Amino acid sequence: MSFSNSIACSMSRFARNYAKIPTGVRRFASASGAEGKTPLYNWHIEKGATMAPFAGFSMPIVYPKIQSHIESHNWVRSSSGLFDVSHMVQHIFSGSEAKAMLERLTPIDLEAMTPGTGSLTVLLNDDGGIVDDTIVTKLDDSEYYVVTNAGCREGDLAYFKQAIETEFSQVRHTVLDDGLVALQGPKSAEVLNSLTQFDLSTLKFGHNQLLTIAGIPGCRTARGGYTGEDGFEISAPADRTAELADALISANGGGVVQPAGLAARDSLRLEAGMCLYGSDITKDTTPIEASLTWVVAKGRRSPPRNDFRGAEVVLKQIADKSAAKRRVGLVATGRGPPARGHAKIFAAGAGPDAEPIGEVTSGLPSPTLQKNIAMGYVKKGFHSSGTEVELEIRKKRFPAVVSKMPFVPTHYFR
Amino acid sequence: MLRLSRFAAPTVNRLVSRSIAPAASRFYSISIPESSPVRKYGSGDIKLRFSKDHEWLALHEDNTAFVGISEYAADSLGDLVYVELPEVGTTVEAGDSIGAVESVKSASDIYSPVEGEIVEVNEQLNSTPGVINKDPMGEGWFVRIQLANPNEIDSLLDDTAYEEFLAENSD
Repeated sequence: MSFSNSIACSMSRFARNYAKIPTGVRRFASASGAEGKTPLYNWHIEKGATMAPFAGFSMPIVYPKIQSHIESHNWVRSSSGLFDVSHMVQHIFSGSEAKAMLERLTPIDLEAMTPGTGSLTVLLNDDGGIVDDTIVTKLDDSEYYVVTNAGCREGDLAYFKQAIETEFSQVRHTVLDDGLVALQGPKSAEVLNSLTQFDLSTLKFGHNQLLTIAGIPGCRTARGGYTGEDGFEISAPADRTAELADALISANGGGVVQPAGLAARDSLRLEAGMCLYGSDITKDTTPIEASLTWVVAKGRRSPPRNDFRGAEVVLKQIADKSAAKRRVGLVATGRGPPARGHAKIFAAGAGPDAEPIGEVTSGLPSPTLQKNIAMGYVKKGFHSSGTEVELEIRKKRFPAVVSKMPFVPTHYFR
Repeated sequence: MLRLSRFAAPTVNRLVSRSIAPAASRFYSISIPESSPVRKYGSGDIKLRFSKDHEWLALHEDNTAFVGISEYAADSLGDLVYVELPEVGTTVEAGDSIGAVESVKSASDIYSPVEGEIVEVNEQLNSTPGVINKDPMGEGWFVRIQLANPNEIDSLLDDTAYEEFLAENSD
């Protein structure tokens, strides 16, 4: 998911009228199995994107006529890339019980957050397992903007429905049909500055603001993203998302922003040490095992507010350090093939019959570092930085070392 | 045979599924360039064949064949950053793994399209795997195989059949 820290600041009004947003249009995948189309589908096709099914949508992977995967990756690190993330699910939860519901489902501290700020958090089940990761933005005390993963869409909707039906009947839940794009990279701010009157130097990492961009009102803009670079995630009305994308691509004379696909998105997020739900975090991992202890807000660790789902398991793992496995970063120490998901992790020097101490969940050759990087889970005791391990790839073992993440330093605007 | 994404993680599979293959509208070269070392190896006829998994095989009169991956396959995989070559002297059956190629987003096995012995590998690929993307039927050749039975190539596709196969199977 998007940004990896919580910040507070002051915000004024969030004037968007959600009642006007058409909710009857189901542009996501239908039960028949046909892929859904985002508001930018035709835009991708016109740009010659290689499209592939992802989480029920036909999504752009790379734009081979414009850049290769590595060129696109490097472009985002040095200039600015535009990602279509309209497949993600945008929700509004409102009403007097909205805060209580979100604090039941996640370990976030919404009281400590100022209106107009957002934070990464996790939806939990009663065992402390992660149902999804999500960005929750506090619009005001009784209205919250929540973005969840496309691949978890049906499960999340059922999860929220259950919470509303059983405990929080006063909560109004709206799923938005808006487009969502992510503008990522060091030149993103100068590009966006040229298209809006708003002073972006006042919009810090984790903050959210309704903007008029390129003459398009109602663009909900959050500073952050999924690459580790400075950037913005912009939610725009579906029927004007292509217009917004065109304006961003043409800004500052054109050539500053290039479209970027899911291939670059995955390599960028892994360099930034961010989790991909379904691979690096699942229902079988707690936030403590996932090394996301910081998402359990300090104010939610003791009575009376330690009442989020799964709190018993999660808080025990914090208190007695009992988590049996931990998510770690891994950097290969020599040349060799990159470890991919499900590669087994062994202790350094372990014999051929030794049991693995863990498993890789994501891995690839880092275009920025020119080294193979991965993340995965290792048994407690092997998780300290500097621990030497071996990764098994096609029946051979290659040395790697447990490393701090992010692998590539982040450049957020704080 | 080239199997796209065989070793790819679920992560990668989710992003880059089997249908990652580029659209058919693009033109893919399926001939050996004049400058190719594959062409320069011998002075006689070269029989060019393709597998349905997008490998090419160029058989010389000495019954050795250069093997590599097609431009279509190289394009589908994206920038290649790592190559695993077999050892010279290895004997292989048709369908045996003879190595792997890896891009940032995925890993793919390469399988021998024929039975024989590996007599040469393209060591240059170890340091510059991207050559496969730039010149897949030239400097990007993968191995040279001494065929056990040269008639085996009759079961593979010729260039016309491969071109038709590409048109039919990429969408």
